Amino acid sequence: MTFDLGATLYAFTNEYLTRSFSFEDLLREIASRELGPGIEVVGFQSIRTFPEVDDAFADRFKALVAELALEPRSLAINSDRFLKPGEPIPDEKLIEYHKRQMRSAQKLGFPIVRYQFATPPELLPELAPFAEELGIRMGLEVHAPAHANHPIVLRYREVYDRLQSNALGWIPDFGGTAYRLPPSLLQSARERGVPEKLIDLLLEIWPETGAPHERAGKLREAATREGFTPEHIQIVSLPFFILSNEDPKSWSELVANSIHIHGKFYGVGDDGREEAIDYDTILPIFRDGGFNGTMVSEWEGHAYSTADAFLQVERHQQMCRRILETT
Amino acid sequence: MLPVECVIDESGITAARGRARLAIRLPWYRSLPLSTVRVERLAIDGADIPLESVRFSLNELNVTLEELEDCTDDFWFVLDSAYLEFPASVEPGSPHEVAVTVSLFPPYIPGMKRANAQSAKLIAGEAP
Repeated sequence: MTFDLGATLYAFTNEYLTRSFSFEDLLREIASRELGPGIEVVGFQSIRTFPEVDDAFADRFKALVAELALEPRSLAINSDRFLKPGEPIPDEKLIEYHKRQMRSAQKLGFPIVRYQFATPPELLPELAPFAEELGIRMGLEVHAPAHANHPIVLRYREVYDRLQSNALGWIPDFGGTAYRLPPSLLQSARERGVPEKLIDLLLEIWPETGAPHERAGKLREAATREGFTPEHIQIVSLPFFILSNEDPKSWSELVANSIHIHGKFYGVGDDGREEAIDYDTILPIFRDGGFNGTMVSEWEGHAYSTADAFLQVERHQQMCRRILETT
Repeated sequence: MLPVECVIDESGITAARGRARLAIRLPWYRSLPLSTVRVERLAIDGADIPLESVRFSLNELNVTLEELEDCTDDFWFVLDSAYLEFPASVEPGSPHEVAVTVSLFPPYIPGMKRANAQSAKLIAGEAP
């Protein structure tokens, strides 16, 4: 395997939530449009019994991917540490919560689980050997606002260096290295009635330094003071949690141990470029650095737009092929 | 309204023996433990329903909204409809304006709360 392309079912959240496409329909459509072969599945989105998976589901899934010539690459798991708001569950319980999902990944034939910052790095000395036993790997989704040298990533890097486990790797998510907010996101906010002055406030505060909740809090405070509605404030708060504007070149530090990639995107323009993320700079870093794995197209425009996700993913993959083959 | 913001399910409201039953959806992209879901407002024809009189029902589960807060092991699968059952005189075939607010605390995003309010005009159906 080298650098290949695929799709995460997360990109098709709207098609799925509207019941237009079932899980099986999505897999069939991905296959027929040749958006695979690699796929990522979000366990808690597609699997009714998750974190458990029963034999009947596993058998059906395996038969289906075999029939469609799709290849399970990553199962997205969640670290639901706050089962009650504001109250973290004990570590032993959280470890077991991970292990249940990791067993399910193995049962379904996924070689990688995607895990998140909500999993404290202190749990890895217990989870990495378990992954090794299962014969799977764990990829940390390096998601906005983090980047290679963000303090939180440095904590994981330190544990990775210490444990030297082949089961641990990175899953870069390009939303952390956007050079601006996607125009389609701003346009959708306008169409939903968000006043221009509130959008100006978003554009002013988003590039500032600070944690997402701090900047979103600053915006909320200022916007509330100026009398904007909670609905409009909620719409302009989302971008703080999904996008940040770190240096795309910073990915070079993580290439060597990247085992999977989230090709996060919001829209590809008629000029063949992503509207907020500089793929022409980012992709050659991974290709030339010897990345060996799958980048799944992760369209997140569904968080504010009902555009056809299949067309979005097709455009994204065309763009990525152009960059990978020519630049 | 985006699919992820829909709270009121298209199967709507039904009536049974002085109580009404409203179908609702989980306004999130993935299943969540019920303990992270809060029903913060329910109103019919402009009148708020006292939340302590509302029961939440999903598959085999039927609990008060207060009990919902302890349901850490019960997941709301994102494609399943849940039901709010509450005292109201609703005649099959009659129109009603219903308003619901469901808030979520995604358990993997500390400190995040997302409120989803929706209102809709529904024609009451026969109880199943």
